[in-house]
Amino acid sequence: MFRRRLILIALAVLVLLSGCGRSGDKVLSLAVGGAPGEIEVWEAVLANFEAETGIKVSLIRQPTDTAQRRQGLVVPLQAGQADPDVFLMDVAWLAQFAASGWLAPLDEFMAQGGPDRSVFFERVLALADVLQGRLVALPMNLDGGLLYYRADLLERFGLPGPPRTWAELVRQAQLVQEKLRPERPGFCGFVWPGAQYEGLVCVFLEFAASNQAAELIEGGRVRLNTPANLAALALMRDLIGKFKVSPPNTCSAMKEEEVRLQFQRGEALFERNWPYAWGLHQAPDSPVRGRVGLARLPHFQGGQSAATLGGWHLGLSRFSESQPRAWRLIEFLVSAGTQKRFALELGWAPGRRDVYADPEVLGRLPHFRELQDVFENLQPRPIVPYWSQVSTVLQRRLNAALGGGCSPEEALRRAEAEAGAVVERYAGR
Amino acid sequence: MRAHSARELAGAYVYLLPVLAFVLIFILAPVLGAFRTSLFQDVTFLPRKFIGLDNYLRLAEAPVFWSSLRFTCLFVLVSVPLEMILGLLIALVLDQPLPCRAALRACVLIPWAVPAAVSGRIWELIYDYNLGLANALLGWLHLGQGPVNWLGSNWGAFFSLVLADAWKTTPFVALILLAGLAAVPDELHRQGQVDGASFVQRFFRITLPLLRPILVVALLFRTIDALRVFDLIFVLTGGGPGGATTSLSLYGANQFLAGDFGFGSAVSVVLFLLALGLALVYVRAGRFREGLG
Repeated sequence: MFRRRLILIALAVLVLLSGCGRSGDKVLSLAVGGAPGEIEVWEAVLANFEAETGIKVSLIRQPTDTAQRRQGLVVPLQAGQADPDVFLMDVAWLAQFAASGWLAPLDEFMAQGGPDRSVFFERVLALADVLQGRLVALPMNLDGGLLYYRADLLERFGLPGPPRTWAELVRQAQLVQEKLRPERPGFCGFVWPGAQYEGLVCVFLEFAASNQAAELIEGGRVRLNTPANLAALALMRDLIGKFKVSPPNTCSAMKEEEVRLQFQRGEALFERNWPYAWGLHQAPDSPVRGRVGLARLPHFQGGQSAATLGGWHLGLSRFSESQPRAWRLIEFLVSAGTQKRFALELGWAPGRRDVYADPEVLGRLPHFRELQDVFENLQPRPIVPYWSQVSTVLQRRLNAALGGGCSPEEALRRAEAEAGAVVERYAGR
Repeated sequence: MRAHSARELAGAYVYLLPVLAFVLIFILAPVLGAFRTSLFQDVTFLPRKFIGLDNYLRLAEAPVFWSSLRFTCLFVLVSVPLEMILGLLIALVLDQPLPCRAALRACVLIPWAVPAAVSGRIWELIYDYNLGLANALLGWLHLGQGPVNWLGSNWGAFFSLVLADAWKTTPFVALILLAGLAAVPDELHRQGQVDGASFVQRFFRITLPLLRPILVVALLFRTIDALRVFDLIFVLTGGGPGGATTSLSLYGANQFLAGDFGFGSAVSVVLFLLALGLALVYVRAGRFREGLG
């Protein structure tokens, strides 16, 4: 009995001591996405970092789902917890995180021998990372909407090349679909993410911007119910219901992975997706390997092709107890060497411009030439701290219009009113 | 019932203390904390300040709150009775002396043992438009015209969710009721048989009345569970299409995620009050004291 109690006490003391030990030797912590392929690269990169600087970093493996990743950061940050010291943020949360006072400004670190600002895309830095005049984050990797197409099918049916307007896309999609359906009943002309989630809003903004739509939120006013937006939403709905080139489950199941898988199975002619799909389409076991082309998204007659700015940015926690060392980690992660490694091993589109001109990278990833053009001109989502509230409204109403729950007119009218109320609530006070 | 001595009572309270402390710390404190937070403007990017019942007023004005409330109530009203009836039937069957009864009972419990998120994924595959079992069945049976997009319409998504929830939680109801059936004395049934009562008569005159307290317990658990349904919807529909399957708890969780803790807490408090109200109604309806006394 006495011995057992002794063991228990010893255990309790051990647990307590190990708790102390962690804060004592100050291992940095870094929160990243936990996709199986990614985590090994992160581990290797951090081993390099430790070898170079002697600073130990523990990896916090987050889920792959974006919403869950955010939850995993909002909770410790709201509680003012010291770890994670450094974390990856979706560009859509940056304004909220910055306005919540969770991000340490990086201007001073940058001035003291950090990388030159010009190595990053100027537009991305200005739109996403500099908020209220302060640099609060640095881009790790960039995303923008792209059009993937089956080059082999376009050639087989004598089509000139990827479509430049949406009308052209519909025509090509219908033609190929009609020819291929007898042998492949599940074949679709154009797949894109239309489920009720953030990705749908990104796609809608691309359709709208390609029709010269105005800024969504300007001067504290939401402008959603406009002819340009209406035409964009009506087209999205018609792709499913009227032209029948997009599958009926676009509104219920299609997120980027579902879209990618359908295209990769060889069951689609066109696909709207982020850059990450390229590497997977070209993987050795991919049925569409070597048959895929990459282009800018089509636009409306008289409009210009647009791509929504996405991607992940590195932030330094204001609650970190070792900010200078955490900064060295960020500096290492945005260095040309590390960025090149992520590009080569994961196909990530780097946040740094110079990697796109690297001969080795271009040799292995020739599509980067195309990407750089797209990234020079990305369309950001409105940069407001309450964006996710606005986005939730949009997701619901846009998705209802796609699913046939209401007309595009009604969806936009209601969304404008509800989003207006959100803006008034959070910006009015 | 004989009166308890003061010493006995004091002893009982001492033994109850740990449970009481548990309830206070892990249940009452968070509830009160949520209520307190709901009276504040607690938004991560705005200054924190007391705003009284403002969050609740905003809630009353939010159309999405009302539609989530409507969906949640409808979900409870359809899924719980379905689960109770199916659970009772399964319990009655499993109560009979069947061959390999123990193995059967264990099998029935499998869906209950699967985590909700996992069963959500399973049903996602079943409902899949291209590769799902549901559409494959339609094809084999030559029913309908081509595949159905199960989760694409409001009612389709609703009944898909009800079905998935019933699959998962009916075994729980069956298990509880099975325990209740075991407590029904065999002599009563034999006596009934002697008196010439049919199976149906015996069920309604003997089994059901004796089962009532345990039925109410099962009903209580299921209702409260269904009221705060979250995981299945999160995985299966994400609240779509067009927000048609957004439950109250999903609505509240979305507010937390967006950084509005005050508003999210107000949603939680409403949900808590709903559950509490229903629990009180059930406890009264159960008439546990006289039933057990």
